[in-house]
Amino acid sequence: MDSLISLSEVTKRYQSGGQPAVDRIRLEVAPGEAVAVMGPSGSGKSTLLNLIAGLDRPASGTVTVAGQRIDTLSETGVARFRRQRIGMIFQFFNLLDDLTVADNVLLPAQLTGIRRARARARLDELLAALRIERHRDAYPARLSGGERQRVAIARALVNRPALLLADEPTGALDAAAGEQIGELLLDLNRSGQTMVLVTHNPGLAARYASRTVRLVDGRVASDTFTGAQL
Amino acid sequence: MPGAGPVARAVGGGLARRKVQTLVIGLVLLVSTGACVLALGLVVDSSAPFDKAFAAQHGADVVATVDRAVATPGQLAATARLPEVTAAAGPYPEAMISPQIGGRTVTLQPMTVAGRGGPGGPLDDLVIQQGRWAQRPGELVLSSDSGPGVPLGTQITVSGVPGTPRLTAVGYASSINRSADGWVVPSQVAALRAPGAPATAQMLYRFASAGSAAALRTDAGRLSAALPSGAVTGTQSYLAVKAQETSGIAPIAPFVVAFGIIGLVMSALIVINIVSGAVVAGYRRIGILKSIGFTPAQLVGSYAGLITVPAVAGCIGGVLLGNALSVPLLGSTATVYGVGALGVPVWVDVLVPCAMCCLAGIAALLPSLRAGRLSAVQAIAIGRAPAAGRGYAAHRLLGRLSLPRPVTIGLAASFARPARAAGTLAAVGLGAIAVTFAVGLSSSLNMVADGLSHAKTEPVQVTLVGSGRGGQQLSPSAQQAAVEAALRAQPGTLHYVAQADQAVSVAGLSGQVRMTAFRGNADWTGYDMISGHWYSGPGQVDVPTNFLTVTGKAVGDTVTFSVGGAQVTARIVGEVFDTDNQGLAMLTDWRTLAAANRRLTPYVSDVALRAGTSPEAYVRALGSTLGPYADVSINGKDPFFLTLIGLTGTLTLLLAAVAGLGVLNTVLLHTRERAHDLGIFKAIGMTPRQTIAMVVCSVAGTGLVAGLLAVPAGMAAHRYVLPVMAHAAGTGIPASYLAVYRVWEIAVLALAGLVIAAAGGIPPAAWAARARTAAALHAE
Repeated sequence: MDSLISLSEVTKRYQSGGQPAVDRIRLEVAPGEAVAVMGPSGSGKSTLLNLIAGLDRPASGTVTVAGQRIDTLSETGVARFRRQRIGMIFQFFNLLDDLTVADNVLLPAQLTGIRRARARARLDELLAALRIERHRDAYPARLSGGERQRVAIARALVNRPALLLADEPTGALDAAAGEQIGELLLDLNRSGQTMVLVTHNPGLAARYASRTVRLVDGRVASDTFTGAQL
Repeated sequence: MPGAGPVARAVGGGLARRKVQTLVIGLVLLVSTGACVLALGLVVDSSAPFDKAFAAQHGADVVATVDRAVATPGQLAATARLPEVTAAAGPYPEAMISPQIGGRTVTLQPMTVAGRGGPGGPLDDLVIQQGRWAQRPGELVLSSDSGPGVPLGTQITVSGVPGTPRLTAVGYASSINRSADGWVVPSQVAALRAPGAPATAQMLYRFASAGSAAALRTDAGRLSAALPSGAVTGTQSYLAVKAQETSGIAPIAPFVVAFGIIGLVMSALIVINIVSGAVVAGYRRIGILKSIGFTPAQLVGSYAGLITVPAVAGCIGGVLLGNALSVPLLGSTATVYGVGALGVPVWVDVLVPCAMCCLAGIAALLPSLRAGRLSAVQAIAIGRAPAAGRGYAAHRLLGRLSLPRPVTIGLAASFARPARAAGTLAAVGLGAIAVTFAVGLSSSLNMVADGLSHAKTEPVQVTLVGSGRGGQQLSPSAQQAAVEAALRAQPGTLHYVAQADQAVSVAGLSGQVRMTAFRGNADWTGYDMISGHWYSGPGQVDVPTNFLTVTGKAVGDTVTFSVGGAQVTARIVGEVFDTDNQGLAMLTDWRTLAAANRRLTPYVSDVALRAGTSPEAYVRALGSTLGPYADVSINGKDPFFLTLIGLTGTLTLLLAAVAGLGVLNTVLLHTRERAHDLGIFKAIGMTPRQTIAMVVCSVAGTGLVAGLLAVPAGMAAHRYVLPVMAHAAGTGIPASYLAVYRVWEIAVLALAGLVIAAAGGIPPAAWAARARTAAALHAE
């Protein structure tokens, strides 16, 4: 099967001549996989995620996602690609405080130009699936951490992305909420959603990812299949 | 001082950390101070430009013409020591010359030429406007106020003098005393005097008491008494020149003052908005400083320092900028005012930067004091984002519109900081008012220029100047008949009318009034009506506003005039827009004037051309047909109005730039505050173009509203100021000169605020679009 993500000899430096944040990384992720990226602080986990998302560009090497070289795309091209093919969730949710839950979720669809009725139908579907319909007109500040992360997941999924990227998705949640979000992600993966999640939590990686990539000093130290994927 | 070290380090760190903000504060203070210096300079110079130029150019209270054959050089020198004389200059030899150009084809008005070694001097310091001073015999410097408007390098022949000397125009200079029409080197003057003409010279005096015409008469009397009888052949007081100049200045001052006031208010608003915005944007940092132990006083000190450093630098630069800009602008104003030179007064250079620094200090102090009273946590929370809840409703409502989402998000953003949005609204609104006002003023001034010159309606004039062709003597009526035959034969002639001017006495008026009579239909000649109608037959006259003011008459009244002993009564049927002869004029049918002067002969023909006819080509062709006995000329607009329109444009551009800079800073603050949100938007797929659209729209709505409010305000300013200007010039104004805004123009002007806002918003929007998403997501 063709890889959904293909990184070839990818290096990223933040300062010219400085230590690389990621160093000649090669990584292939197949469709439907749930990959956990682990490693100590400063190992290059978030940088790797940003490179896959097209939020950053590599100094060398190629990044291909869903058959598209994204490291060579223009800023506009990569933004369009990201909103159609990639969904992102973050440790601190990154919701827009001045928009309601519904408006937050709809935003990527509206940026893409999806028709209003179709976007609203998708919104209803996601809010129901994530059990946050009653918060539809609420502002993020009134929600709990777990509810906010559900809203963030709904926003990430609104355009039916091929790839879901999650940066410490349970890092800011208490244990119970973290458990619920983990289950949600697992459900999504079971339904075929490809995921790459960055985490410090070995338990989360073991339970919800089928494969764990460990980074040390910007290089892949190990790449193991745990079999958690269903 | 204890605690000064941390404050200084906090100031230094803040300046280094916020380079863009520091730069923008400095830049805004620089432009605002520059604009204020210029605006206040204009306002001050408009209040008494003659007095200022008089002081700057060491004007003389009296210019006396003395006969050197009667008074010896010693006697003239002794007048400088008279008790009432505080300063004296001269004697400068002078001569009255009859100049001609182009051989003998064009005879100019007689000119008074004075001999001076250079433009400077203890009194009546001349200002070179163009070219250079005369350095040798044969060179002539013309007066830019009263000399003939010929190009530099023109050869002027002096007729009636042995050897018909030739002078080359090498420069233009202005004299605050209007002491001469031209200047040559002193050694040349004797050769320019006509045989038998007295050897006169100018003596210039300043007196201890010269505040009134009576005081000056007394001074001149004492001067005459100190010299042999008949030595003083004439005197001219500065008050006469001042009266003449002030009547010309009066119409200009209202619009210059209007622009100055707009500039001052707008600059103050923008400075308050930017400085207080910068402090509010720094609340998070204030919270952090408090949390590590800064006292409220140290915080106020550190933020006052953060603002003061760029503010002082900007103010100093602004004074330099304002003075640099004032050179061409006040130069134009001086030309308009007809005074030699104007400059920014020193007290303006001191007051404006001090006031601007105080304004910036107060604008920084108030939010700093508030921040000092807040707890560290509150300060961090306020600094991170606008107060929770602000603008949420706007987001909800605008989100329902069928507009692209980046547009509606941008439009809603201005509601999050209502005070800042209000400041931006006011600044952009004032800029847009200036634009609307300027557009209307320029249109009206063009109409005034056309109305006074009749350049559009009668672009060509033919004036009889000689006595016949090839030495053949022709009567004036025969010459006129020849002109009219040539006009009929000339392709391109649409219509023409002959006219004659006659000085007439009007019952109840001490002076004489110029009456212009047209032989034939003249309703097309372009006299715009203020009230009533154009005369329709003999016995009817149209008059300018000042005629009605001076005589106390109204349209519909009768007026009796006389020529020689013959009296004629006519009815005033209309009030026309005309300032010639200070509005003391009457326009009428040929038969009305001919009833009082049976030997009336036309000497000017006004000509309208068919569409598509080139006036230049027409004048060349007709001039060659008529030869030297008629002067065929193009009726051009008065350059005074072109200067005025240029001045309006320059001031408007400056004000719009200040408003745009204010917007730039507002958007910059906004994008810095929302840097994290911008990262989110980009992370979920907002393209750079959508980002620019969103950020620009955060001020576009404010700009659009400001523009919509500014159009009626600018139109109202135009409707108020123009009649004030006209009134100062002693005339009413035709209604058509006020109704200058066309529907499409109003629609375009309504977008002026939007354009200013977009121009100010695009640079920070482009910055936001370029910002690294990953870095922005980590920005707090």
